[in-house]
Amino acid sequence: MKWILLVAELLTVGSALIVAINPNILYSAVFLLFSFLGVAVMYLFAGADFLAGVQVVVYVGGVTILILFAIMLTQWLYRLKLKDIGSKFVVPGVVLALGLVPFLHRGLTELGKMVQAAPPEKMAEFAGSPKTALIGKALLTNYLLPFEAITILLLGALVGAVWLARPKA
Amino acid sequence: MLGVGALLRPKSIPTRRGTQAYECGEDPIGSAWVKFNIRFYVVAIIFIIFDVEVAAVLPVATQFKEAVLNGGAGLVFAELFLFIALLILGLIYCWVRGDLEWVKGVTLNAPKK
Amino acid sequence: MPANSALFAQSLTQWTQGTWFASVPIWVWALVSALLVIYMLALPFGGIATYVERKIAADIQDRIGPNRVGPLGIFQFAADAIKMISKEDYVPPGGDRFLFNIAPVLVVVGSCAGFVALPLAQYLVAGDINIGVFYIMAITTIIAPGILLGSWASENKWSLLGGLRSAAQIVSYEIPVALSILPVILISGSLQMGEIVKQQGWQSGHFWNVFHNPFTLIAFFILFVGGLAETNRIPFDLPEAESELVSGFNTEFSGMRFGLYALGEFVDVFVMCALVTTLFLGGWQLPFVELDKFMITLPSGLIALIQVGFFLGKTFVMVFVVMWLRWTLPRLRVDQLMGLCWKGMVPIALFNILGTAIWMWAFKGQSMLQVALGLFSGGGSSH
Repeated sequence: MKWILLVAELLTVGSALIVAINPNILYSAVFLLFSFLGVAVMYLFAGADFLAGVQVVVYVGGVTILILFAIMLTQWLYRLKLKDIGSKFVVPGVVLALGLVPFLHRGLTELGKMVQAAPPEKMAEFAGSPKTALIGKALLTNYLLPFEAITILLLGALVGAVWLARPKA
Repeated sequence: MLGVGALLRPKSIPTRRGTQAYECGEDPIGSAWVKFNIRFYVVAIIFIIFDVEVAAVLPVATQFKEAVLNGGAGLVFAELFLFIALLILGLIYCWVRGDLEWVKGVTLNAPKK
Repeated sequence: MPANSALFAQSLTQWTQGTWFASVPIWVWALVSALLVIYMLALPFGGIATYVERKIAADIQDRIGPNRVGPLGIFQFAADAIKMISKEDYVPPGGDRFLFNIAPVLVVVGSCAGFVALPLAQYLVAGDINIGVFYIMAITTIIAPGILLGSWASENKWSLLGGLRSAAQIVSYEIPVALSILPVILISGSLQMGEIVKQQGWQSGHFWNVFHNPFTLIAFFILFVGGLAETNRIPFDLPEAESELVSGFNTEFSGMRFGLYALGEFVDVFVMCALVTTLFLGGWQLPFVELDKFMITLPSGLIALIQVGFFLGKTFVMVFVVMWLRWTLPRLRVDQLMGLCWKGMVPIALFNILGTAIWMWAFKGQSMLQVALGLFSGGGSSH
């Protein structure tokens, strides 16, 4: 099972690399999509299934579309050949990014081992119960204020965004 | 996990290359660019906001049934109501200020800012 | 592991005890079952759906439709598939080859992957994922970038406009769809598809979710209409078939790529209808039957078959309605479409959520039927 995780990590890091290096901005956006998908798979391996779903819904479905709209609707943006100013940083960047992968892998698999090393009754409870229910309970009790604060944040973001997009009379 | 299997499914397009005739489609007049329409972008942003809202309400919603059966439903309902009411407020704001109009120029209140 | 997959896995390991199959790790079985579902169910459905659609269209338009290839023209879809595969590999000059290739793949992967979580019968779920409903919602959003990228890669401004509108439409109608799923979650208390269907049995007088309270009835319609819009079907197929956009975002696609697009669309229609069936129409539940009694008497294979039959039957009825609407209703203009979504369906869906919550709170989670029975019998209705 571990190799799927490795593939996902390489996909994420590799796509992120292409996002940073590729001179074609549309390709960058497309590989950003793959990067998001890779992150979602990593969330799955960390046991956060609900979060993986949120990642796909919000990022792949929303942010990617947003970025693609921005690129496709702005003519001069597409013609821009992104010349990396710091081209001498490419090789160290690649090395650093690839060096990140073992850490990621170790971290995520250690998380899995920690879960399995927990006392059996706790582990059974953790593995069996849907995480969504746990998150829901937590949001309703311990984290109620952040929950309501989320909505105020969203409201602010909504108003701000449409205000910015308004034609200036 | 199983979704991953579906995602890694190999793409199978067997195509048989016929004579690659150069095809002259309809001649596009002018360049293949679309004039910038901000309404697409506005729609995408509003979508993200509401999508995050749905994602946040989902775990709470799964707890609602249990709360109904075991008491405490009023509190959960109040929390849900507050959340959704604030977003209805946001929607009403956008609606009234004319940001939801697809065709600009049919706005009811010309925004003055 | 969720109950269904664990049972399936257990029975599999027992069954394969003495053979070399036993050494195969469980994830291989998971992968195989997922692939099986996709290749044996999703893709053939997509193919046959094209044939069925043409027959229904013909019937509504008072003509015959395909009747040459095989008896009653049944093998038409195979002929179409062979034709598509053998077409020339045309990429528009100046178009982006890489994007042109991956765009249909994204669409098909997005819709086929949704198949994995569909509950076909009580113990027949390819993957009863904990976040079932949410997973389907999430994975079908991969279709939107697919369409968008394909329209861009066509290097054709009508395609681009069609793709942009299509993406805007899909993205807008995600919201009423997601908001309509919420009342069902409120009622069921779980995101697992199998769990949601199990609770729509007759054992407590709680019938299908659509009849649970008036708000879910409205939510059912909103989900259905939203699903129509998500899959670019009439009356929302502006990005596809409008005369000013030629064929919209798939103008430049030919051969297998177009085939993949069309396949992806039909599979998406199936997934949406299956979603509606699972959430509102009781999935594989037989009407008026208490499943527990039957479970003991009939062999489980037969039960699974019956349940699959009911599930597919209900889904096909919804798909039929989708196809029926295609030839019946006129097309919505783009501003009407957007207005309908944000000014009509989203407020209604939001009020549905609140209404369902109020109903559940007031009546302690009972359905309309249970409340009515409770009133009539004067005592407490069983729950």
